[in-house]
Amino acid sequence: METKETKLAVRNLKISFRTDSGKVQAVREINFDLKKGETLAIVGESGSGKSVTSRAILGILANNALKEGGEILYDGQDLMKISEEEFCKIRGDKIAMIFQDPLSSLNPIMRVGKQMTEAMLIKGRLSQRRSRKDFNSMLSRLNGCMDSARGKTPEACAKNKELCKNFDTFERKHLELEIAYLDARENCTEAISDIEDILFRIEKNAFDGVVRDVKTAIKRAEKSRNDFVVKDRAEELAGLLFTLKKLVQTPVVTKITNTAKLLLRRNSKIVDNTDYAEVAKTLASVKAILDEAASFDEPNFFSIGYYLTFSGQPLPDMPVKELNEYLHKYLDDNFMLEFIKVAKEGIIYSAKNATERKKAALAVIEREIGVFKSEFERADAKAAARALIAAVEDGIDRLETVKDNIAYTFRTSLRSAIHGYYDGIARNAKEEKRYAKQTASYNKKVESGKTPEWKVIDKDLVDVEGARGGIVNLIERIKAKYERDIEKFADTDFDARAVDMIDYLKLKASGVAHKMTRAMAKARALKLLEEVGIPEPRKRYRQYPFEFSGGMRQRIVIAIALAVNPDILICDEPTTALDVTIQSQILELINKVKEERQLSVIFITHDLGVVANMADRVAVMYAGKIVEIGTAHDIFYSPAHPYTWALLSSMPDLDTKEKLEAIPGTPPNMIYPPKGDAFAERNKYAMQIDFERQPPMFKISDTHSAATWLLHPNAPKIDPPKIITDRIARMTRATELAKNAESVNSEASVEAAEAVEKHAEAVKSASGETVEEPNVILEDLKRGIVDDTVNGDTVSTDETLATTDETAKDTKKSTARKAPAKSASATKSTKTTAAKTTAAKSTTTKTTATKTTTAKSSAAKKPAGSTAKTTTAKKTTTAKTAADKPAAAKKPAATAAKKPTAKKTTAKATEPADGKTDGGNE
Amino acid sequence: MENNDETLLKVEHLCQYFPMGPGYDLKAVDDVNFEIKKGEVFGLVGESGCGKTTTGRSIIKLYDITSGNVYFKGQRICAGVRSYKSAIKAAREECKATVAELKKNSRAEIDGGADEAEVKTKYDALIAESRDKCARIVAENTAAMASAKHDHKYCDKDYASGVVAQLIAERDAELADCDDEEEREKIAREYKSKIRIAKNERIVNSIQMIFQDPIASLNPRMTVRDIISEGLVIKGIRDKKYIDEKVYAILEKVGLVREHADRYPHEFSGGQRQRIGIARSVIMEPELIIADEPVSALDVSVQAQVINLLNELKERLGLTILFIAHDLSVVKYFSDRIGVMYFGKMVELAPSDELFEHPLHPYTRSLLSAIPLPDPEYEKNRKRFVYNPLAEHDYSTDLPTMREVSPGHFIYCNQAEFDKYKAELDK
Repeated sequence: METKETKLAVRNLKISFRTDSGKVQAVREINFDLKKGETLAIVGESGSGKSVTSRAILGILANNALKEGGEILYDGQDLMKISEEEFCKIRGDKIAMIFQDPLSSLNPIMRVGKQMTEAMLIKGRLSQRRSRKDFNSMLSRLNGCMDSARGKTPEACAKNKELCKNFDTFERKHLELEIAYLDARENCTEAISDIEDILFRIEKNAFDGVVRDVKTAIKRAEKSRNDFVVKDRAEELAGLLFTLKKLVQTPVVTKITNTAKLLLRRNSKIVDNTDYAEVAKTLASVKAILDEAASFDEPNFFSIGYYLTFSGQPLPDMPVKELNEYLHKYLDDNFMLEFIKVAKEGIIYSAKNATERKKAALAVIEREIGVFKSEFERADAKAAARALIAAVEDGIDRLETVKDNIAYTFRTSLRSAIHGYYDGIARNAKEEKRYAKQTASYNKKVESGKTPEWKVIDKDLVDVEGARGGIVNLIERIKAKYERDIEKFADTDFDARAVDMIDYLKLKASGVAHKMTRAMAKARALKLLEEVGIPEPRKRYRQYPFEFSGGMRQRIVIAIALAVNPDILICDEPTTALDVTIQSQILELINKVKEERQLSVIFITHDLGVVANMADRVAVMYAGKIVEIGTAHDIFYSPAHPYTWALLSSMPDLDTKEKLEAIPGTPPNMIYPPKGDAFAERNKYAMQIDFERQPPMFKISDTHSAATWLLHPNAPKIDPPKIITDRIARMTRATELAKNAESVNSEASVEAAEAVEKHAEAVKSASGETVEEPNVILEDLKRGIVDDTVNGDTVSTDETLATTDETAKDTKKSTARKAPAKSASATKSTKTTAAKTTAAKSTTTKTTATKTTTAKSSAAKKPAGSTAKTTTAKKTTTAKTAADKPAAAKKPAATAAKKPTAKKTTAKATEPADGKTDGGNE
Repeated sequence: MENNDETLLKVEHLCQYFPMGPGYDLKAVDDVNFEIKKGEVFGLVGESGCGKTTTGRSIIKLYDITSGNVYFKGQRICAGVRSYKSAIKAAREECKATVAELKKNSRAEIDGGADEAEVKTKYDALIAESRDKCARIVAENTAAMASAKHDHKYCDKDYASGVVAQLIAERDAELADCDDEEEREKIAREYKSKIRIAKNERIVNSIQMIFQDPIASLNPRMTVRDIISEGLVIKGIRDKKYIDEKVYAILEKVGLVREHADRYPHEFSGGQRQRIGIARSVIMEPELIIADEPVSALDVSVQAQVINLLNELKERLGLTILFIAHDLSVVKYFSDRIGVMYFGKMVELAPSDELFEHPLHPYTRSLLSAIPLPDPEYEKNRKRFVYNPLAEHDYSTDLPTMREVSPGHFIYCNQAEFDKYKAELDK
């Protein structure tokens, strides 16, 4: 997975919407990468910003959207900054989308067939033109480099030019042949499958529609004539097809009577005189010929193309395998080896030059970056930017087949960053002015004794320093990138790169040769319609969208999206409206297409079953942020974020019996996004810190990370809800059982099954014990974090963290012991922390707190450790000191300076928890 | 649930055809039989277009059914006449054919030299017999047809008159017991309004429906109060205070608050709208709720909320639910028994655990093999099983019927398949 190239990169994407009531922050700084041939699923409730993200990628945000920042890097372009015209070239062609609502994404007054072929025809011509351009420019660039590498002597130049020209010529011949072959071959295999189907139906006496299908099969079989498919037995085949045609032809008399019967609305059966036995017999012999043809090897058209173009002789008559070898050798001897050699020289030359220029660019960066490090003048900035851009763009190796996003987007990014900076300054000045003016007039009114009906709107200032920092970051990023490139130069494999270059040219050439005519588009559309599971595509092709049911419409939308061969496919809940069978058909289709075309898919859904099926990686979104991201295995077998738990436990699977755990409440209002973790309000495992500070992304493994304070080293260990642990245990058991079933030894498998069962039970019992900590321990965590903030330095507090960690462990022990006493109330006490806080505020007084202490100390006596002693000693103290007992008592090393703050906050944190526990006990 | 054997709804040979043009009908529902016991949840699954929703709508009389009967609480509420008509037609044609055959035979015998008079009397008797038989069948079916038409059209009136008669009897009994003049007047007044409402009583009111799309099924111009109380108003209740109280009570029951009564549907989220839909059906105090894909259009988390709510209401109000859905994991979780439909036919019917443990019909198997589960390992190895009726069954000689393979487990098959399934089940 790591080696695959990144197709799409989203960096710090931030999108808001202007509304009457304020600015809705739909997406708040999200980051993810999409690799080639990978499916990334984005999961979350409605309103979590999934669709907004995908729409931003496709550039179809609503008019009131504000692109507040961030980058979407694709193919050397930043999709956030390119113009609408440029976007037109990408949208639908490179990036296609399947929408959620099929009705509104189809044109109601156009026939389905037209809607399907429209994009193919337009984009087909476009991509042909573009491929031609790419091919030509790359080849001429290569030619140039080759010339320079050979010192630009006239004969070398002439030689190079000839090589390139020859390559161009025979490449076209190659494609011509290959396309004809592929077409014939495809028709051949399809005719075979058609015939198989027809034979099956004749055998089962289901004659409905057989005649029409036979006719299609005949057409396909006729098209399978090619030098490398049906060649020797072509005459025989033609004869058979002719008899077959006669057999299925309806006599004119029967046609007339049938029509009359239809017109007279008689119920009687339509006459069918076809001799099916004979048809079946002929079809079988046709199939024999086609089967033989389909089993032939595929010839190497690349070398055949060269041979036919330059040798001036017909192909030697020999079996395909030998032919391939012979021609390959011929090509190598005459052309290829030399071409590769020269191309390699050219590439090395270009790379070397680029590296030199990169070094120069680094020098320029060193020189100019200083300008942006402090306040700068407009003219300076402009000059510096111009120099930087020129240097950086000079450093790009134009012969690289994979465009490097950072270098290619440097120009737009830097320009817009500088523009944003000056824009910010101007706007800030304006805002200040407006604010001063409004305040003055407000004050004037107040002074004159009136109460104004309006309020002064707060200043909406842009962080100018931040904008400047952004510019510096941008430059540093390109600097790091170039430094890396220069290091890499030494161990580049230039042979591989030369081959890559030839592959690239081949690909572009095939793009040129793939013409899309109206008839071809129609054939393709019909095939797609059949692929997505629409019966009678010929009939459906001419219908209007309103004549289809919801599921059918959705399939048409999917067919349209797939028709243009996109690079990236975005699926926005494509199967939510479909039933299971169709759903899995469609998913299989998308998966198949993905495999075939190395498609990258972004799959948006809230159905986790579908996600498990489709996704390689999963991103869980909540309130505009990615809260957890990892491979499908990570997310389903070891979920870490409470929101993921909630999502997983709110959907029933086939073994669920207990009450479903719905997520209480509703998602937060994104006009006023919460200060801390957005999910805290609805999270029963929330701690105090969750309400105050946003959790950073904690890395769990290389592929898996989650944003929750529960992963902080000081946080209590909380296991996911029982419903999930049970399910995971069940799933692992099932997988292992399946694995064991494969092994031959049955006894061993039984033993293993037992072992797995035991393991599952252990997991179960473990999960039963450890549910009730969060309230009690949050004080320690709180302390740890507060210490962090007090010092303002995260690294130096390691010591404190360690001590608190110990405390946490101890407290955990005592709680575990306490568990049986309050087992009944334990679950109740873990209700949402919001409730806790309010309850605590109203009820906790000294008395309740003291009670709690008593309860706690009595429980803590059992371990008879130092904790017990300290607790009993502190039994009579007031509520607040009692509350911060565990931490304070166990921390003699804590400095006096820290104490006051720590004390205050811990007390605040513990109070609600204790209050609630107490309530539970009563 | 099992200990209660009272049948609440019984569907017999339900057929619902839609005319599609000259000569052919679309058989949306074709010969479906099932029973729903009181207090149980009956799940109906199948792919889209297989007639699940049509079945539900036919039961609640949104369509006039083509043939078959639906009994609710023992009373026939829907009845179709197509089967009787075709029986009459078949009998007439058969009679015509036999008569022609007999006549031909008699002529042959006369030509063969038999005594003309003797042959004539013999054959006349036979002809008369077959004509009699035909006439009898026609008369039977005509009578059945008349009764079916009557029941289909007047079942509500019959039910209302029954209720009214019962009320009158009660009133008379109470009046007889009472001596005080004032008291008598009060009772009379009380019963008068009750009887007025009872006159409009409809048996179908005890069946209510929850629709799939919570946005499309609520009138955007009505407040939640109007939407929820509409049924009561139509029923004839005029007491505003009583209605309001009832609305508030129901709102609280479905997890909304009083203040929501004066808002409009667009002010609610999807889950809340579906709650309003549920409130609207529950306020009529139904005995049977037809839930037509109530959670398909909702988010997972909201889905769980709505399912929990339905479960709770079921327990608290003793509801019986016909649950139509295509999400099999939800159906499995929620239903006691499940019927699987395929192209208008019920192909398998069994208790839900039994169905998922021993799916017998190939279509059920293919359906089960398509369920996506939240388990990547399982999903990687899941093989979808494609159902092709032509390849699976050979019905050329022996036509399939609904047969009971094991207690409570019915399957649509012919004798050969029946034996096969039975052997499979025994294994």
